[in-house]
Parts: sequence; structure tokens; C-alpha cells
Amino acid sequence: MTPRTLALGALAAAALGVAVAFPAFAGGYYVRLATGIYMFGALASAWNLVGGYTGYPDFGGAAFLGIGAYTTGILMLRAHLPFAAALGAGGALAVLAAVGMGTLLLRLRGHYFAIATLGFMLVLRQVAANLPITGGGSGMNLPIASAFTPFYYWMLGAVVLGALGGALLPRSRAGYAIAAIRENQDAAQVLGIEPLPYKILAYASNALLFGAVGGIYAYWFTFIDPPTVFNIDFSIQAVVMTLLGGPGTALGPVAGAIILKILDTILTNISLFLHNVFFGALVCVLIIFAPRGLAEVLRRRGGIVRAIRTELEDSRV
Amino acid sequence: MIFNTDVALQNAVNGLLIGGTYATVSLGFSLVWGILNIVNLAHGAFVMLGAYETYWLFTLYHVDPLASLPLTAAALFAFAYPIQRYVINLVIRASFLVTFLLTFGLELLITNIALAAWTADIRSVTTVYSGRSLLLGPVVLPLVRVATFAVAVAVAILLHLLLTRTRLGSAIRATASDQEAARLMGIPIAHVYALTFGIAAATAAIAGGLISLSFPIYPAMDAGYTFIGFVVCALGGLGSVPGALLGGVILGLLQTYTAAWLGPNYDNLVAFAVLILILLLRPAGLLGRVQRFRG
Repeated sequence: MTPRTLALGALAAAALGVAVAFPAFAGGYYVRLATGIYMFGALASAWNLVGGYTGYPDFGGAAFLGIGAYTTGILMLRAHLPFAAALGAGGALAVLAAVGMGTLLLRLRGHYFAIATLGFMLVLRQVAANLPITGGGSGMNLPIASAFTPFYYWMLGAVVLGALGGALLPRSRAGYAIAAIRENQDAAQVLGIEPLPYKILAYASNALLFGAVGGIYAYWFTFIDPPTVFNIDFSIQAVVMTLLGGPGTALGPVAGAIILKILDTILTNISLFLHNVFFGALVCVLIIFAPRGLAEVLRRRGGIVRAIRTELEDSRV
Repeated sequence: MIFNTDVALQNAVNGLLIGGTYATVSLGFSLVWGILNIVNLAHGAFVMLGAYETYWLFTLYHVDPLASLPLTAAALFAFAYPIQRYVINLVIRASFLVTFLLTFGLELLITNIALAAWTADIRSVTTVYSGRSLLLGPVVLPLVRVATFAVAVAVAILLHLLLTRTRLGSAIRATASDQEAARLMGIPIAHVYALTFGIAAATAAIAGGLISLSFPIYPAMDAGYTFIGFVVCALGGLGSVPGALLGGVILGLLQTYTAAWLGPNYDNLVAFAVLILILLLRPAGLLGRVQRFRG
């Protein structure tokens, strides 16, 4: 371990300590805000495993979030299972779905994969709106929790799991294989790497986190219906937060989530219209001027303006 | 269930007629994807804008929806040309994820501004001839759907002629097949890209106008139509006008028949199943050339 990674590790441990103690001294509003930040930090970290490390632009993460939310809701409401057990089942089902869909979809590349994942989410939304067990279009009400601080810790757990996944993956054998597949799949295959199982591994880990977050979200908000959980916003916010913070890094997605969620909260307090339009404008500006993330722009030599100018020179027509 | 020929025939006609609208939705999507190598997630938003423009012209000034189509198309061309020329052209050579996300950002901007301006209310265009039908033996032909189909075929033929018989069409096709060579021949690439994008938006606007005659209009209607555009392109092949027509009609027929069998609530499921099957079995589409897959 280099001194730099040690220092980073110490910093992360200190931040975790503060996060664990946070509800003891902060007010309810800030605990709720932090819970939301962790939720999106976990989603962004999850997307990073597929989109950042594997290079597969997944736009259907909300499919797994919905599977987790509905499984948790149905098991708690209809089978009277305790929350933790229902959540575990939700995560497990999301993983199963990811292995099944991944086996089909991960053979596709680029645009095809992106739209197919989006389509998968649209299908699940439609199915959930038409099944009796989900409550159909009118949604379902979960039991109301006795306290809300536990959700803070559940979401904290999810984001820590996501960041750990992002930190450990590139240091593992699977991580090297995944990097090789991302850079050049044909060359990786020639070296004896079978791409599909590794891609499924990354996709299923992403689904596990999306599913778990979905389950926690369902019990936290107590009401779910098809458009709120099978919502492309979850997928896209995860993508934008990752791009903002730096794809293919362990803590970048979390940093992106913190920045974007705080900005978003401030804007929502000013005007709801601003909040809606802001996100679209941010995506456009970010993508044009810093497609590799803000961290990359700051890291380049010669200043921000020059970094942006080189980027533009490279990609314009 | 007894097999009923009349019902089967009626379903075939319904599917064929709705397929014409799907083809119009997909023409522009296919053009932009095939020529510019961009999957334009804002395409459905152009359809939505076209539908609203038709709606307002009809509601405020009593302009017939079919008569206002050229105006709607021209307006969307003027709206889309600068978007490509001054925004998307900035990143057109970057990786696919970049252009994909940029068009998604544009989609968010357009639909949210539409939501603020026009609210989420569901609207519709009802003309004096909306309820009328022609009878052809046992088959009922709703007048609006027949007119819509005729316009769809006319637009497809015009676009095909534009691409194959004009100087502009040659420039567009040359740019698609080799950008550098086209530039050396003196073709202004940035301008051609913007023209292509503008033409695609104009056809999307016409699709929106046609849709407003038979389907509800609201700001969030766009995502479903973008998805249809994608499925039809995957079915018919990229940048191919006959492919878009064939793909649109096949999707229309499949959805109509499965709706008769499963109920009308599973149209996305059918489209998705078609998409997965075609991508796994024949990734170039039914009429397409084998494409480059960019990872």
C-alpha cells in the first residue's frame, strides 16, 4: 500500500465515523437529506460497476430497483415477512433477473444494449401496472415503520457496499478481466477471457444494489406504484452522478451524488420548474464540456479552460 | 375460440394502418442513426412538439390537422437545425455514450419546458370527420386512420426520393459512407449533418401531427415513441426507408394481433420481445446491411 492509499483509507474511515454518528447531532431534515444522498450514492456506485468499469451503458437500472421495491412490498404486505427478510428476497430476485436478462442482453453492444435495458424497464413497468398482486396502477401501501433513523443506516450500508465494490473490483482478477473486455473485447477473448460471465458478474452486482435500494426505498416511502419505482430518472441520475464524479473510480460516483443532490435540493427550494429544467441543462453542459467527468478536467495539466478546449477540438466536426 | 375470418381481417387492416404511423415515427430516427450514428433520445420529444403544434393550430385557429402538417414540419426543421449545428456537432465524434446522453439531456429540457408551459393534461384533436368510417365488405376503415396511412406512405416516398434522386441526398449518403472523403469532395459536413437532423425532426413532427388525430397528447408521451422508433429501426435496418415502412407495418400487425389475444395492456412487452428476438437472430435488421457495432 502506498502512503496515498493509506491516507485515502484513513480519510474514508473518518468520513464513515462522522456518517455513523450524524443522526445523533443533526436534525431530522438533514438526516433525511443525507439518506437521499446515500441512496443516490449507492445507485451511482452500482451503475459505475457496469457503466464505468465494464463500459456497458446500462439505462435500465430502475428495472431492478422496481423488482426490489415490489418484492419487499409484496412479501411484507401479503406474507407478513419482517423487513430484513423481505429486503434480502428483493435483492436476490433482482440478481436472478439480472443473470437471466444479462445472459441475453450482454451479448449486444453499445446502442443496442442501452435501448434494450431501457425497454426491459418499460416492460416491467407495464407488467407491474397490470398484475393483481402488485396492486396494479393504483400502487401499494406498505406498513409504516415505527422509526425513520434505521433507513439512514440501511442506505448508508448500501452506499458503503457500493463504494467497497468499486474499490475492490479493479484490484481483483475479475476486475482485470473486466478492464480487458472494456478496452478490447476481441483481444481479451484471444487471451482466453470468456467475456459473458464477467459481464454478468458486474451486471448482477449492479442489480443487487439497485434491488436493495429499491426495497429500502419502498419501506421508507411506504407507497410505491409503477411509474415511481420503474422510473428512468433513477437510472439517469446514477449515470450523471457517476460522470460528474469520475467513472471507473471507487469514490467518484459518491462524490457526484453528494454534489448533485445538494445542488438539486437548493434549486428545488427556489423553484420546482428550475429543478426540472436544471437537470436537463446540466446533462447537456456536462456532456459537452467535460464528458470524462469533472475530476478528469481538474486533473489535466494546463488549467480547466485548456482541458475543455482540447476535449472540444477532439470531438467536434 | 372459433376462428373468425372477419375479425382476423379487421385486425390485419388495423395493424397495417397503425404501422404507417409507426413508420413515420421511425423514418427520422433511422435517418439520424444511420447517417449521423446518433441514437436520438429526443426524437420522441420532436414527435410530441409536432403533436402539440397541430393541436394548438387546430384549437386556436381551426386549422385542419392534415393541412397544418407542412407548417408543423417546417417549424420543427427550423427548431432542430441549430440544435445539431451548434450543439450536437460539438460532440459528434466523441464516444456513443456522449451523444446518447446529450440527446437525453435535450429530451429532459424539451419535455420539462413543455410540462411547465402546457401542464400534464391529456389533450386530443377531434375533427368533424374523426368518427367517420368507410365500409369495405366486413371491414371497417376509420377515415382518420386511412388518411394517416396515406400521408405516412407519401412522406416515406418523398424522403426516399430526396435521399436517392437529389444532390442533397447524394451529399447526405456520401457523408454517411465516408466522412473524410466527403469533406475532401467539398461537402460541408457540419451543414449536411444539421440538414439531416432537421429533416428527421420534420418527419417526426409530421408523425406527431398524425398521432394527434388518433391518440392522446401529453408532454411525457415521447418516451414510448422513441422506443417504437428504435424497435422499428432494429426490425427494418438502419437508414433504410423501405426498412422503416416494413418494420413499422410488422410491429403494427404484431401489436394488433397480440392485443386481440393478450389484451391491449402489453404493447411494450410485445415490442420488447420483437426487439430482443431480432437483435439476437438478425442484428442487421430485415432489410439492413451488416452494421459496425461500436462498443
